[in-house]
Amino acid sequence: MDEELLELQRQFEFAQQAKSSIRLSDRNVVELVQKLQELQIIDFDLLHTISGKEYITPEQLRLEMVAEIKKLGRVSVIDLADTIGVDLYHVEKQAQHIVSNDSSLMLINGEVISDSYWDTVAEEINERLQECSQIALAELAAQLQVGSELIVTVLEPRLGTLVKGRLEGGQLYTPAYVERVSAMVRGAARGITVPMNLSALWSSLQLLLQEMDGATGVAVEGSFFQSLFNGLVKEGEILGYLRAGVNWTPTVFATAQKESIDSFFSQNSFISYDVLHKLGIPQPIQYLQSRYPEGIPLVTIFVHPSMIEMLDGAAEDAIEGGSWIDSLSVLPASFGSQDAFKILSLCRSVQVALKSNEALILGESFVFSNGFVKDLYDRLENEMETFRLPGFSTTGLCDDLHTAKEIKVGKDSSSSLTESSETGNEGGNNKQAYEKVSKRKKGKSSGNAKSGAAEISPDNQESVPSKSRKNQRKGKDTSLLQVSDSKPGAKKELDKMKEDNLSIPSEEWLIQKIMMLVPDFEEQGIIDLELILRPLANHFRPMLLNSRKERKKVAFTENAQRMKHLLDNLQRKLDESFLNMQLFEKALDLFEDDQSTSVILHRHLLRTTATAMLDTLLLNLGYLQCRTSTTSCKMELKLKNLKIQNLFHLVLEKELLLLKVFQDLLSIKAVAVVEALEAKRVETFITALRVIAEESGLTLKKLDKKLERTLLHSYRKDLTSQVSAETDPVSLLPKVVSLLYIQVYSKALQAPGRAISVAVSRLKEKLDDSAYRILMDYHSATVTLLSLISAATDDEQDCTSDRTTSKRELLESLMPALKGLVLSTSQS
Amino acid sequence: MEGWDPNTKSTLTQIPLLSIKAGPRDGAAWTQRLKEEYKGLIAYTSMNKSNDNDWFRISAANPEGTRWTGKCWYVHNLLKYEFDLQFDIPVTYPSTAPEIELPQLDGKTHKMYRGGKICLTVHFKPLWAKNCPRFGIAHALCLGLAPWLAAEVPILVDSGMIKHKDDVATSIL
Repeated sequence: MDEELLELQRQFEFAQQAKSSIRLSDRNVVELVQKLQELQIIDFDLLHTISGKEYITPEQLRLEMVAEIKKLGRVSVIDLADTIGVDLYHVEKQAQHIVSNDSSLMLINGEVISDSYWDTVAEEINERLQECSQIALAELAAQLQVGSELIVTVLEPRLGTLVKGRLEGGQLYTPAYVERVSAMVRGAARGITVPMNLSALWSSLQLLLQEMDGATGVAVEGSFFQSLFNGLVKEGEILGYLRAGVNWTPTVFATAQKESIDSFFSQNSFISYDVLHKLGIPQPIQYLQSRYPEGIPLVTIFVHPSMIEMLDGAAEDAIEGGSWIDSLSVLPASFGSQDAFKILSLCRSVQVALKSNEALILGESFVFSNGFVKDLYDRLENEMETFRLPGFSTTGLCDDLHTAKEIKVGKDSSSSLTESSETGNEGGNNKQAYEKVSKRKKGKSSGNAKSGAAEISPDNQESVPSKSRKNQRKGKDTSLLQVSDSKPGAKKELDKMKEDNLSIPSEEWLIQKIMMLVPDFEEQGIIDLELILRPLANHFRPMLLNSRKERKKVAFTENAQRMKHLLDNLQRKLDESFLNMQLFEKALDLFEDDQSTSVILHRHLLRTTATAMLDTLLLNLGYLQCRTSTTSCKMELKLKNLKIQNLFHLVLEKELLLLKVFQDLLSIKAVAVVEALEAKRVETFITALRVIAEESGLTLKKLDKKLERTLLHSYRKDLTSQVSAETDPVSLLPKVVSLLYIQVYSKALQAPGRAISVAVSRLKEKLDDSAYRILMDYHSATVTLLSLISAATDDEQDCTSDRTTSKRELLESLMPALKGLVLSTSQS
Repeated sequence: MEGWDPNTKSTLTQIPLLSIKAGPRDGAAWTQRLKEEYKGLIAYTSMNKSNDNDWFRISAANPEGTRWTGKCWYVHNLLKYEFDLQFDIPVTYPSTAPEIELPQLDGKTHKMYRGGKICLTVHFKPLWAKNCPRFGIAHALCLGLAPWLAAEVPILVDSGMIKHKDDVATSIL
């Protein structure tokens, strides 16, 4: 039999004899383990793997972890949990345990890292550093996936041993590199001659470095340069001083600065702060004061006392010589007016002169001796007088009345006058302010605005001196333009301002005058005449204004007297004529029964006496109105014309024109009077007249018995003399009739021609027959004469003219009889 | 290979396959075949032992290795039921599969031919034919007897046709 077969048989036998392995299910095992734990045979924590198929003791876990860490050097706890297959919680716990027991390990950001790992890393870094000469820590950190701070803490103990280099501002450098950059810094710093912001320098150096290193070069931090620079400064390799950490001023620059200032100041004995600013000294005054304690700081310039002495001399000359001086012309060109003012105030002679009122500083730089100013002022005042007077005298009354009213209105008008002298200068600047004010006042003032505006224009034309008129016009125009879009209220305000302004001489005018009077200014060749003349003018203006105000006050009092006189006159005239009228009115009572005659007589009376009286009254009232109220003076002119033309018998239109002069209330009443004049009743006229008289503050005297008698007496006397002197036969008759009425009825009758016959017939009962006949004859003769005269034509028909002359002769022959009739009775 | 449970299948695939096609009449070739049969049986047995699934003992009853006898057992309800096992290698082996006999169970179940030869599933024969000559005795046991025991013993025990030897002993007493 085959050996092999036997062998196989034996093997099979053996295989069947072998004990079969016993298998337990997982569940059985778990139960068993639990049982063991219950029985406390296993008395330690038993961990199980993530798969759940393995039990592991903590010691084993720790051992495995340590092995893993040893193997890798740096391993994440999460990775450990994965590789060992145990829950992360246990791994972390054990990792902490391990790290706390082993000082060469560290647990950072869930990673366990051993020292040996760092050593190898440091070696790698060193190798790279030696190749590249510089490495950014951030780059390393990114590469190693750790924080850069950690890198620093790890690298610092290894610097100089494992890593041969220098750590600066987040960069690692090799000593050779540091040396090179340091050389660059030294070179750059030594090359600087002016103050410079170091960061700018560093940025240029960075650019240079980048060019050298190519695109791969790591940007070098400014702080690296700075630290190198500080080192160099400390070692004295570069000279200068550092301000605020970044502003480097090289010593060579400071020296140059000092020398240039020294040389300029010693040569010119002044130096402008601008120069110092240009030289890079930020606080020139402090700098100069510390360097030249004897110097004097002005506003923009620093001067040596010798400069003051020089100016002092010049100013003293000018003051003593009764002249003036522009300190700017004496001082160097770089002096400003403020400097001039300040330096002037330091001059001893000027100080003394100012104290004793012998000098005046105007426009900051100009010194005037008192004598010069006084002289100029006197001349100016004279100048003002000469051309102001003509205009002043004609309109003086009106103008002054106006001012007077203003003064009455309130104190502010006087203050506004002085104010206006200032506001006038600025004009435009104040416009807004004025508008503001005016808007506030708008409600109140808009009512008066119109009259205010109207009132101004004549003032302008009359009171403005002819020379300055152009300027004024211009000013007015511009101001009008300014106003054009503003509210009427604003207009009022502006007008008021303007008006105030106009009443005093304008600045421009003053400047012109001064230039005329003192041609010196131009001869001196001062470039900007305004500069000196304006302050001078401003200086004079208030003075001139005061003098003018004084004069105005005087004129005002005069005017008030004149007004009073005018009123008195008016009252007297009014009384006289009114009494006369009343007298005449009495006579009308006689004819009350005769309607037609009464009408004629009424109308006659109104036409004659009443009209004349009303004319006088209205004219005078018109005058007064012009003065007192705000009405235009054009009206006044018209009134004057009316007077000149002697238009006593005003037609209605003219009167109405006149009436426009009056203010509303008065004008209504005046219209009523004029209309009453047109009516046929004297009584209505009288009542209307009384109203207007009361309104205008006049009184109407009533006729009493005593007054009537005296009046009648004088009237009679008057008539008697007239009659005796009368030569014209026609005009004799009415006078005789009037006289007869006085004698018979003791009433003054004024009768028109048409009413004469009636008047004569009334006398019939009162007179002797003879006398009456004489009267009748005369009357009929006069009527025929008049009818003949009126019928006469220019044909020179002899018959009519002959008859006229014959009638006239007849009348003339009758005249003595008639005269005798009257005169005899009067004498009896 | 359908018709068998996954355990059987995986086990079957692990039994080494045979290569020599020889029957008992083929002399030396049969010896070679027999060697392969042994190797397969050894592998199967050790596999069973390692899986704690040892369920039979057999040995060649004659030197030619054409008759095999042994025992097989099955554990049901924590009781081990053990039966005698015998079979002959047919003359046409390996084309014809051996007929496994459990003489003790003759006449106790439908799934058995006369003389105690077990009835195999319909799938057995085609599979065997397909894998001739690669299947051997180990495969026949694995594919034929093991599933039959697993299917029939619980039924026989429950129906009371067979009793555990302890019970038999007590009943005798």
